[in-house]
Amino acid sequence: MRVALFATCLADQFFADACADTVRLLRHLGVDVDFPEGQTCCGQPAHNSGHAPEARRMARHTLGVFRDAEHVVLPSGSCAGMIRCHYPEIEDSEAARDLSARTWELSEFLVKVLEVETLGHGLEGKTIAYHHGCHALRELRVEAEPTTLLRGAGAEIVEWEADQECCGFGGLFSTKLPEVSAAMADRKLDSLPDVDFVTSADGGCLLQLSGRAGKLEQPTRFRHLASVLWEGVTG
Amino acid sequence: MSGRDGILTRIRDALREREAADHPGTFESWRTPAVAGSALDRFEAVFTVAGGEVVRLPNPAAATAWMTQFGGEYSSATLGTTLPAELSPDLPQIDADRAELGVSMARGAVAETGSLLLDARDGRRTQLLAPTHVVFVHAEDIHVTLLEALNELSSDLPSAIGLHSGPSKSADIGQILVKGVHGPGRIIAGIIAAEAPTDHAEDT
Amino acid sequence: MTTPNPGGYRAAAARTLRDEPDVSASVASATRTFDGHRTRAYAEIDAERWRDWARDVKTHTLTHLDRYLEQAEERLTANGVHVHWAGKASDVHHILQKIVARHGIARAVKGKSMLSEELGVNEELERLGVAVRETDLGEYIIQLLGEPPSHIVGPAIHKSLDDCRRLFHERLGTALDAEPDTLAAAARAALRQEFLDADLGISGGNFLAADSGTVALIENEGNIRLSTSLPDVHVALVGIEKVVPRMEDLAGFLQLTARAATGQPIGNFVSLIQGPRGADETDGPREVHVVLVDNGRTTLLADETGWEALRCVRCGACLNICPVYRQTGGHAYGWTYSGPIGAILAPGMLGLAEAQPLPQASSLCGACADVCPVRIPIPKLLHHWRESAVNDGLAPASEGFGMKLYASLAERPGAFGAAGSMLRLTPWRAMGSALPVLGGWVQERNAPQPSPKSFRRLWKEGIE
Repeated sequence: MRVALFATCLADQFFADACADTVRLLRHLGVDVDFPEGQTCCGQPAHNSGHAPEARRMARHTLGVFRDAEHVVLPSGSCAGMIRCHYPEIEDSEAARDLSARTWELSEFLVKVLEVETLGHGLEGKTIAYHHGCHALRELRVEAEPTTLLRGAGAEIVEWEADQECCGFGGLFSTKLPEVSAAMADRKLDSLPDVDFVTSADGGCLLQLSGRAGKLEQPTRFRHLASVLWEGVTG
Repeated sequence: MSGRDGILTRIRDALREREAADHPGTFESWRTPAVAGSALDRFEAVFTVAGGEVVRLPNPAAATAWMTQFGGEYSSATLGTTLPAELSPDLPQIDADRAELGVSMARGAVAETGSLLLDARDGRRTQLLAPTHVVFVHAEDIHVTLLEALNELSSDLPSAIGLHSGPSKSADIGQILVKGVHGPGRIIAGIIAAEAPTDHAEDT
Repeated sequence: MTTPNPGGYRAAAARTLRDEPDVSASVASATRTFDGHRTRAYAEIDAERWRDWARDVKTHTLTHLDRYLEQAEERLTANGVHVHWAGKASDVHHILQKIVARHGIARAVKGKSMLSEELGVNEELERLGVAVRETDLGEYIIQLLGEPPSHIVGPAIHKSLDDCRRLFHERLGTALDAEPDTLAAAARAALRQEFLDADLGISGGNFLAADSGTVALIENEGNIRLSTSLPDVHVALVGIEKVVPRMEDLAGFLQLTARAATGQPIGNFVSLIQGPRGADETDGPREVHVVLVDNGRTTLLADETGWEALRCVRCGACLNICPVYRQTGGHAYGWTYSGPIGAILAPGMLGLAEAQPLPQASSLCGACADVCPVRIPIPKLLHHWRESAVNDGLAPASEGFGMKLYASLAERPGAFGAAGSMLRLTPWRAMGSALPVLGGWVQERNAPQPSPKSFRRLWKEGIE
């Protein structure tokens, strides 16, 4: 099986190691990984803020880049959601519907397509709080997959009452309405149980929570799901 | 253009290109497995969770006896105009706004919502003003669903029907539940079963 | 009705967060409680089917709205009700003026009605010399405080028990440490005489059944039953979108709305009002008026996408789950309707420019769409209004330029990569004041640390 990796603009710059771990993880599971170098941005920032022509330009570009891929895998729930749920709206075309059907967030690809649930023992003894990013949860309906994989590698997922509440990132929302955005992050951080680290499938969420925690001088560690899953393999 | 014409014209203009949609049909309370037991059991379960009280009266004589005994605690009452004499407590009747006890005759009840159906013809003031409200209803007038109840009501509608499903309550003060804010703080449903057509052991 | 001021949202929200932590705490606690009740109540039923049904009835009704309003008018008139049509708030005021003048109205009691807030009814009645008393306990509290409601169902959720204790001590003479029961009893006593003395009762309308001419009202306190039963004249203000085709449709809506709003199988008191007191009745109003109100609803109906917001049954479920609303409560939104529903009604009813930035006051998390009893696709509508704002030139020019530049780069991978490298070198804190985007970030958070090498670079170097 071959997949094309869509690293996403945000992870390319801020979670490069997580992207590399995504490659390692997929290869370990017997999947060949292509990285079409024409990839740039899925267009979500433009789409969410109502700039439709720009969103369409980026969607068309992305459609072209991944036209021939059998599966497209992303270390990002929100970008996968953009392609799967919104590309067919932006571009009412066969190409868009076709790509939509071949696009996966990493953890759901592992569980649903590769049918993998146990990666190894690498997370044994680790306590983790899982943050469910809104797009992964509500657009892709990815809910059990990340925690199944984490537990499958030996981790304990600690109960967190706010785990499915929005972290306050929301793309440009975080900078347009920073006070409310920060208050939403504070709600997440204040209710966090004592864990080794927090993980999530979305880089934007991780930047929001870690950025806020850092400002408040909270020592909580935040790690990208792809890297944590790779640790599940390697220990 | 008059208000009416203006509004209707704007609506028609707005809908000119809009695809019309069909009515999906009658509501059916589709739900997970229903509470076991009779309509009466179900009514009691829902009504009491909402803070209401239920008294089961096996026959009209028992209802009379209960009302006499219950009414003994009060010094004044207001009575529904359709309340039969045998269900009326023997208390001085005064204006509803000063009476301690209100007694009404319900038109029916609804099991699935735990609601008593109060007809305006029985008297709204009696249904609303006294702090304690007793409502009699015949067991055979308990509808299983709200739909059935509404269908029965619609054949003979007064100026107003009140569906009373519990005591007056509010959580507006710091999210803490309080009762009897404006309407009755205590509501008791007296459910009267029909006289059982069995052998009368005491017949001479 | 204070003049709508959605434009003040960011400043008002920031002020609430900074200066009124008790408000945030009270709102968070109340909304969580409501949402918990709703979750349980939905779980008891086949919520997916109920919600599909409700969406479909409302959609059918809205696409035949003129027909159903005409039918409702015909039935209501046959029932002896005076039916009025009001295009806007001033029309409602004129109708009230005539009623007040004809009957010499001096005192009015009101049940909770968001529409009456929207229309500025209290101010108008007071201007006409009518003493208006809000009778819903939460509305009574905010009336004493001189504040607008903070939430559709619980107007005073931003006030704590201690706030209420202080208020009632001042105004009703209760002890400063009085228990809630005592406070409620004091309110009951104070309002009892108002109900008895009022010449006019005002209500809203949760639903209007067209085939029977029935105004349906849902509550828990009994104040609406009292307000619509004791005074000689009853005026019901009903938004045109509140009509449903059949009385039997109320079987679904009364139950679903109660479950969505407070988690109850039904409100403790439901009024089904057909008209004035009958010849065989000893009490009830002698005169009933229903005012069918537009006030921007037809403008919203005309919007190909935005019209879906008119399905709203005002349950407040979207407010209760919204992580943005929960931080501040409703006042920050500067309008009668707040939270997710406020953000999708305002552009249609107030106009898009006036409604800014409400459609932006969302992270598009989607929680609201998961709970709406009539399945309004709120995130889709928020997105629609954002797109409309850009098309109408309401987005900041810098944002438009930025997006165009970004899209141009995104079409040219080489340039995109190069720009990315430059981004990594940007001193966010220093640039923050020059670029609002960065400034907004560093105001509340540490700047993110770019990876030492981009993934593109790592790939080129080979992943082991």
